[in-house]
Amino acid sequence: MVTMKDIIQSPLLLALVIGGLLYISAFSLVYLKKAYDHCLELGITRKELSNVIKSSLVFSVVPSLSIVVGLFVLIAVLGSVWAWWRLSVIGSLSYETMISSSIAQVLGYASSAEMLEAATGRQFGVVMILMSVGMLSGFLILLPLGKKLCKSVDRSAAESGGSTWKNVLSGVFMLVMFSVYIPILLFTDNVQAAVMITGLVIAIGVGVLAKRPGLAWLNNFVMAFSMLGGLISSLAWVRIFG
Amino acid sequence: MSNAKTETKMDSFQSWAHRWGRVGTLIALIYMVALPFVVLAAYDSIPSLGEVFNVNTFSILLIYIPVGFSEALSYTPILGCSAYLAFITGNIMNLKLPVAANAMNLTKKQPNTPEGEAIASVAVAVSSLMTVAILTLAAVCASFISPVFELPAVKTASGYLLPALFGSMALGLFASSSSGSKVVKGGIKGVLPVLIIMTVLSLAARLAGYGSVLGGLVGIFIIVMLPIGILTSYVLWKKGKIQVVDKEQK
Repeated sequence: MVTMKDIIQSPLLLALVIGGLLYISAFSLVYLKKAYDHCLELGITRKELSNVIKSSLVFSVVPSLSIVVGLFVLIAVLGSVWAWWRLSVIGSLSYETMISSSIAQVLGYASSAEMLEAATGRQFGVVMILMSVGMLSGFLILLPLGKKLCKSVDRSAAESGGSTWKNVLSGVFMLVMFSVYIPILLFTDNVQAAVMITGLVIAIGVGVLAKRPGLAWLNNFVMAFSMLGGLISSLAWVRIFG
Repeated sequence: MSNAKTETKMDSFQSWAHRWGRVGTLIALIYMVALPFVVLAAYDSIPSLGEVFNVNTFSILLIYIPVGFSEALSYTPILGCSAYLAFITGNIMNLKLPVAANAMNLTKKQPNTPEGEAIASVAVAVSSLMTVAILTLAAVCASFISPVFELPAVKTASGYLLPALFGSMALGLFASSSSGSKVVKGGIKGVLPVLIIMTVLSLAARLAGYGSVLGGLVGIFIIVMLPIGILTSYVLWKKGKIQVVDKEQK
């Protein structure tokens, strides 16, 4: 019988993932070339563009390190090739890790380690299909309505002088997600609560440290450090509460 | 009126992006959806429709679906025509949006203008290439250090990623949220009813011995709670309890 390990170590999966990433890279390069040339046509200087490119590269490194931390955690659940694919395209660090943490439970395993050992190829197929199909929802809005959404902002700004409601609304979705998750994590399991509070305390600590002279760079690592610290603390909390 | 018409007219890059960005995105989507089916077919492991879509797996879809809808509705107007590339390469909230905003700030261009969208597209494209490169390097290195992931400690810790992640991001919940050149002050007030309802539900479920069940119902809770959060936020925004100010005024 084909196992999950057979699939996640499949050369075919690796080849297709590399093919997909090459396409995405080519798509990005075409976008970059078109946008760059158009910026020059609009009177933006090469120096300004050079600064934007340098700044974007530097700006991307730090959040990418957080994504790498997520990648290593995802690898333990989904294998390196599928985790690499999910976080390189479409996927988001937070949602992919959220989903990876519940996959084992959904498939009827006590832990992701048990799933990795015992899951069949068909069961992992369920995970692959769900993760691939689930992310389509955003595109059901973006593809048919993307142009209209962009135009509608221009129109409303032009006609009403600009409403600030869209600024509020754009944050509400994220706040609701937090407001649903946090009480569940805090009040249903002691270890989960302790891990979350540890992560929060580390985030506050790093934030305070970052205010000291010469340590402002720490601001870029608050999420990565607190996430790592929370994960490591789980070992102690499991011993205490487990 | 004529001004409004002028502002909604797109320039050549915006028109190109909305046409070819959409085509490129569609091709990528087809590839992404087909990929698992091709691999599973090669291993004769394609699951049945019932195995993929059932009560248990619905919870996974319920995490993706509302988030996908909300991201598309929330971020497309800010990203403009760079949205196609941003969505296809993912990590919007934690990477692409900040990078695009940073680029527009650097060049002092506004979102929803031809200049702002072009410069945002440059930034998003550069950021996408950078992330693919970094993740590729990490994935290659991961294959050399795979024994690390077999350690019991790593296996235990990986089970607590979700609370660790929320702990690290919770700090942002209590801060004023930034949206382009604006800052939303008091946004948390709009979701207080959601926080209270979920706290009561979580405590009740724990006391009844069903605490572990709630985790699988998160997607349903998000869909139910979204209208409550939006409505409360709207009322408080109308009353001036939630305010949007320029970053400089923060």
